[in-house]
Amino acid sequence: MASTQRGAIFPAEGGGEGGVLDFIKQALGKGCFDAVLVPAKLSGSDSFTYSLIKDESLLKDTYPICPIMPVQGAKALSSLTGRGKGKKGIAALVRPCEVRATVELFKLGQVDLGNIFLISIDCPGALPLADWAKDPKKAEEAFSELLKGGASESLRPVCRICDKFSTTGGEDLHIGILGAKSGRIFLIPSSPKGKNILDCIGISVEEDISEWKDKVDRLTEERREKRRQAQKELEAKAVGLDKLLDVFSKCINCHNCMRVCPICYCRQCFFDSDNMKFAFEDYLRRAEMMGGLRLPPETLLFHLGRMLHMSLSCVSCGACEDACPTSIPVAQVFSLVGDKNQKEFDYVPGRSLNEPLPLRVYEEKEFEEVEQSYVETSAKQEAQDA
Amino acid sequence: MAKKIGVYVCECGGNIAEKVDIEKVITAVSPLKNVEVAERHKLLCSEGGREFLKQSIAKHGLTHVVVAACSPKQHEVTFMNVCKEASLNPQLFQLVNIREQCAWVTPNGEEATDKAIRQTRAAISRVRYHSPLEKKETECSPDVLVIGGGIAGIKASQLLAAPDRRVYLVEKTFSLGGKVKSFSKLFINMESGLSLMEQEIKSLLGNENVEVLTESEVEQILGFLGNFEVKIVKKAENEELNFNVGAVILATGFDLFNPKGLPQYGYGKLDDVYTSLEFEEMNIPDGPSGGKILLKNGKPPESVAIIHCVGRKEKDYCSKVCCLYSLKFDRMLKSQLPAVKVSHFYPDLCIPGKSFQKFYEDTKELGVEFVRSAKTEVAGNAKGTTIKYETETGSKGDLVADMVILIPAMESSSDAQKFAEMLNIPQDEKGFFAEEHQLLAPVASAVEGIFVIGCAGGPQSISESIVQAEAAAGKILSALVPGRKLELEVRTSEISEDFCTGCKTCIDVCPYGAITFNETRRISVVNEVLCHGCGSCAAACPSGAAKLRHFTFSQIYQELKEVVR
Repeated sequence: MASTQRGAIFPAEGGGEGGVLDFIKQALGKGCFDAVLVPAKLSGSDSFTYSLIKDESLLKDTYPICPIMPVQGAKALSSLTGRGKGKKGIAALVRPCEVRATVELFKLGQVDLGNIFLISIDCPGALPLADWAKDPKKAEEAFSELLKGGASESLRPVCRICDKFSTTGGEDLHIGILGAKSGRIFLIPSSPKGKNILDCIGISVEEDISEWKDKVDRLTEERREKRRQAQKELEAKAVGLDKLLDVFSKCINCHNCMRVCPICYCRQCFFDSDNMKFAFEDYLRRAEMMGGLRLPPETLLFHLGRMLHMSLSCVSCGACEDACPTSIPVAQVFSLVGDKNQKEFDYVPGRSLNEPLPLRVYEEKEFEEVEQSYVETSAKQEAQDA
Repeated sequence: MAKKIGVYVCECGGNIAEKVDIEKVITAVSPLKNVEVAERHKLLCSEGGREFLKQSIAKHGLTHVVVAACSPKQHEVTFMNVCKEASLNPQLFQLVNIREQCAWVTPNGEEATDKAIRQTRAAISRVRYHSPLEKKETECSPDVLVIGGGIAGIKASQLLAAPDRRVYLVEKTFSLGGKVKSFSKLFINMESGLSLMEQEIKSLLGNENVEVLTESEVEQILGFLGNFEVKIVKKAENEELNFNVGAVILATGFDLFNPKGLPQYGYGKLDDVYTSLEFEEMNIPDGPSGGKILLKNGKPPESVAIIHCVGRKEKDYCSKVCCLYSLKFDRMLKSQLPAVKVSHFYPDLCIPGKSFQKFYEDTKELGVEFVRSAKTEVAGNAKGTTIKYETETGSKGDLVADMVILIPAMESSSDAQKFAEMLNIPQDEKGFFAEEHQLLAPVASAVEGIFVIGCAGGPQSISESIVQAEAAAGKILSALVPGRKLELEVRTSEISEDFCTGCKTCIDVCPYGAITFNETRRISVVNEVLCHGCGSCAAACPSGAAKLRHFTFSQIYQELKEVVR
């Protein structure tokens, strides 16, 4: 692929977002799809919400490049298609991390992509929800500064170190807004479905898009370095049981992080179930053993359990951190764990619809080091230590 | 009703008592909640021990029983049966392994005792949460589908067919008899393979409980032990047949390795180089040559070279019957052409068994030459065919031969993969169907109710194939008794409809194909007949929807809690 990748160029006199909307309008008008799922600010509300738009005239209230992420797009798509696909084609305009979460949910049977056109846009990042809630005007100003090339300090911490802000491979069509000379955007098909949309509106996909690609590659490299650095700093603060307890000590057990997580697809969280409710004597005995017991219990266990269940599919979207009322860096910790776990399996969530989830792949030889017996490993070490 | 738990610690002769302080164990567990009685016994598995246990359960009116003794592999069933005799549901029992896991492996007596106490405490804590799971039964068909009409398939069909058990024998070619039918003589008794097979086929066709379907292909097999739905297509009539059976026998035989892939043997290029099967055909009385061993030029050969192990290195296994039947070729050659010179070239000879060695010695007496050659090649020129060989010590030689017979490796049938995919049974790395256990379950496949016999499972002699046919028939006769229902494993998995989100992870991890997806309800469903209770699904399910009966979260939690306390 690299620099030989080709795509379409679309006019965007009214800026990147305007170009995206023009493109959507054209495609809707030509019947390439029947409706579009996109963040909108409807009925004069102060916030954004994913809306399924059928009426072209309502597109004026939509914000494909949205300053905040109130609901993860994958969750919106899951509620739309969780019970099976519809007969009509729907375009979903979402962030790259939302595409990746959607791909994961597809593998988990929670999304039906049958008649969905997944369209991603180069993501400038999102502002913390709390900042928006406190002062929407100020936040909006900060965001437009950012779009003009201003400092990224106003973004959420996970967005600042995101190295997968552009095409991911899992979408049908990607819209490049980076590196465009003002007045144009790039449309890059990633699947036959995506190519069909461009054929439908009748534009050539043979244009040179290296201008965009170079910019994306450069920024990706920059972000990768930033991510490495930030994760190194976080490791010093969060790795090890004591440090992890410290990080999560502010947790109030509201489980918001789980509720907003696109990958937490269980109908009922195991940690909310009866399995996690024990008899009074049990708690008393544990208090006796440890000298004291924090109530409600299992706070750290909840986070560890969630990590175990979803970290291989974690796309670092940051929804959990946005939802944390006590500002625990949940997303940063989960990203760190996710990156490490994913590397162990050479797995990248959201990279491809065909890449099987590691848990479902049986390898006869895998992680042999953990299969060594106690006698071969720990016993020797203990004998040496003694 | 109040719980009354009985705890019994076995001394196992001295096996446990010499290391574990049993009194200490009894003292530690006696005061625990719900413990009605805690006693020791010299040998609980003995007749006296079992009687003691039975009476004690009745005397104390126990609701739950814990026995601290040996491995469940050894006596779990024994003690469960005692519970049953004492009218206590056997699932309300827990065995603690304080022999293999404490007495035998923990050198320090005090530590072994502490460990035994923890484990017994854990079992008491767990057994309170046991449910009295009841045995379930399912209807089943006693009928059998046999795939492959060679000697193994025919023998299995003969044994299984009975007035209350129908056997469907499916053969893809137009006639029964398999490869054995084309052997003019059989190794060791030198009888005719054709007449043996004719006899067997006649006896089979005389059995009205067998339906023979020749020129037929198996299109689909769905289901499980006792309940397989089969779809067959009769190719000649283009007719589809559907029926149910309780078990399936795969007797799909083998193919011969094609020596064309190894140019050093000249096969396909030189005139008088044959494979063993081609030589067999030459010897059939009503074959093209009328049973005469002749060269392409119509003359009988004056010298014959037999080359062993063709393709053994490529296949990386010994086909085990080739050395034997090649000795049979010597007899066939010598009896038709007494003056013929026969030479064998072999890297290794494999002649095991009680009577084969003598056959070999006697063959040598006939003037047959055996040359051990690490590297053998066949070259042709105007004068004829030359065998170039190299002995172990590196000395080279060559020998002119009129006729060359190659003994190729046996390989898995070209159909093997089709059936492996259709039935979801594994193949080994060589392409043969894998046995469930190489030593303990040699004719069973990984799927219950599907058996593999004869060369479908790897190279076999005729008698071995028959032994396997008899073994599979025996297994089926005891598992599927007409009129009797099939008893199911009680410790199976169940999936909660309320919690299942339909992610299908359990389906991917289930090694028995026991979970299916219900498209309308969008949830995964366990087939209790196929479930072996391995617990993979329960471990993989993130929502806790998949649960393994008898290994529920609370049972395991209660057990672990006491181990680590």
